Amino acid sequence: MSRVTVPIGPQHPLLKEPIALRLDVVGERVVAAEIEIGYVHRGLERLLQERTFQQGVAVVERICGICSHAHTTAYCQAVEALIDVDLPPRAAAIRTLLCELERLHSHLLWLGVLSEAIGFTTVFMYAWRDREQVLDAMELISGGRIAHGANVVGGVREDVSPAQAREVLTMLRQLEMQLGLYQELVERDRSFHRRTRGIAVLSAAQVQAYGVVGPMARASGATLDIRRSAPYAAYGWLEVPAAVTNEGDVWARAWTRVQELQHSIDLCRTLLSALPAGPLARRVAERVQAGEAVSRVEAPRGELFYYVRSEGERTAARVKARTPTLPALLAMAELLPGLQTGDIAAVVAGCDLCMACADR
Amino acid sequence: MHTLLTLGELLLFPGLAYLVTVALLLAWVDRKALAVLQGRVGPPIYQPLADLLKLLGKEDLDTEGSDARLAALLPMISLACALTAGLMTPVGNHAVISFEGDLMVTLFLLSVPTLGLFLAGWIVPSVYNMLGGNRSLLQYFCYEVPLLLGLAGPAALARTWRLAALMSAQSAYHWHVLAMPVGFAVATLGLIGKLERVPLDTPHAKAEIGAGPLTEYSGRKLALWRLTAWVQTLVGINLMVAVYLGGADVVWPYWGFGVYAVKVVGYMGGLALVQALYARLRVDQVAEMSWRLLVPLGLLQLAVTVWMGA
Repeated sequence: MSRVTVPIGPQHPLLKEPIALRLDVVGERVVAAEIEIGYVHRGLERLLQERTFQQGVAVVERICGICSHAHTTAYCQAVEALIDVDLPPRAAAIRTLLCELERLHSHLLWLGVLSEAIGFTTVFMYAWRDREQVLDAMELISGGRIAHGANVVGGVREDVSPAQAREVLTMLRQLEMQLGLYQELVERDRSFHRRTRGIAVLSAAQVQAYGVVGPMARASGATLDIRRSAPYAAYGWLEVPAAVTNEGDVWARAWTRVQELQHSIDLCRTLLSALPAGPLARRVAERVQAGEAVSRVEAPRGELFYYVRSEGERTAARVKARTPTLPALLAMAELLPGLQTGDIAAVVAGCDLCMACADR
Repeated sequence: MHTLLTLGELLLFPGLAYLVTVALLLAWVDRKALAVLQGRVGPPIYQPLADLLKLLGKEDLDTEGSDARLAALLPMISLACALTAGLMTPVGNHAVISFEGDLMVTLFLLSVPTLGLFLAGWIVPSVYNMLGGNRSLLQYFCYEVPLLLGLAGPAALARTWRLAALMSAQSAYHWHVLAMPVGFAVATLGLIGKLERVPLDTPHAKAEIGAGPLTEYSGRKLALWRLTAWVQTLVGINLMVAVYLGGADVVWPYWGFGVYAVKVVGYMGGLALVQALYARLRVDQVAEMSWRLLVPLGLLQLAVTVWMGA
């Protein structure tokens, strides 16, 4: 059998974002894989050095179209640590609420993408239909479906009125009813199992070696979750359950996320039922004292890390983000060789890559 | 007069014009049914026709390094074979051409488009086309035998390979599907493989190899390939309705046609349901299912039929 190179990307039906995979295939088996990234590098970290700290929120929001709120949360936390301002409880709760809503829609999006990759279009349609409700709820609160503009340094900008809270609770109830379908899918559907079980197993050792984070790591037995290990915003008051399994295959990644859907719904309910009173934001000075700070947030894809350095100016001296997609990419490069060509789609979709985050 | 009548049959009803129209309508039924099952709105009834016309008007590109004449010829031959097969399968209770063994000829004519598709993929120097063509051919070896075994059961029971005779053998609602449900299931899965529908659509798995063998095709050639697929779907369903579901049960012409039409649409809906319920199988899983499960089951059904009939 001759060896051919199958190019996947930068433009390909499998991919939602540009990345180039060059796969050497013999017959139906992948023997070597090469990954090329950088197609959506926009120089946003550099741009942050040209904007004031408060303006920077709008810039980091545009790093990613899925986990935009996680980015602003991480960035604001870092700047808040620099100016040493404490977050009002109501702001912390609303920030956390949006974080969890974001996790809901991100996981549903992922489930849809994976299902489409394995040819299960019905689940794709259902998952994206249900995701729409979450986006509606986020729009109700913040006025934006993707870029919410809810975070500011020192607090949040959007309040949640009792009427809005009731509407979001109704949405959550409807979503929970749909959730049974996805539970059933990962627990029992044989068609789904055939395409996801035992495929691209990532060992706990590989998770350690590459620093894989988030649901992908939790599917391989790692308990890592910033919400529990280093609580931020309102997570300190909340009980965040762990969804950990040891299989490490594509199925386990789906299982972990479906469990987390339920957990996020519960967390949103807890937050909405007892939103603390108080101000939404603290007034902060435009100039930030010199120093450096880091902050960590559990984005839907895993640990998101921000480093901010100030030299006492109105603009940041350096902002650096380390996104969860980076280790996932490295791990994927190791998972691809040895696969059948029919499994490439499931594995690439299953790694939940966010190229916009990784390239910035 | 007789020549004129035959010409009318070939070109109008139940020949070219009828087959193409109904194939387009059936494509709409398929898409609409799937949409409803998935909670979507779905396309309007003229959408397949609009797609076809739009494709016909698009620029027709020849890929560098491929044989342009062969590339143009393959979809024409494939469409011609599918349409000819359409003349042999009964529409209502009437087929233009009917003779002993027409079932086999229909099946043969229906395999030509698959081979054409393989060649169409093979002559284009692109990896997606090549992989898709390879998978088409591989799948051909997987579904053809189960389909044939599935259709052989009723033929053995009725002791004929003629579709008209197979239909009349099921008169008074003695449908073959009631006597041979296993054979019906095997033949249906074989047909799904032939039509390259989910869960057996690996030859053009979008997320893996783009449009498979047709990746580099455009314009008229792509339109003809699409039309071939739709006509194939219609003919395949016609075949199943005639062999397993009793065709047009009633002789009275209009009523009989209605019964037949309901069965065709119902069967199409069934295929859409299967598409909505399952994920795509991998190539090796297709081979495994067909040779480990479908072929033994088909053989068993055939053996039981022959033994009971003897």
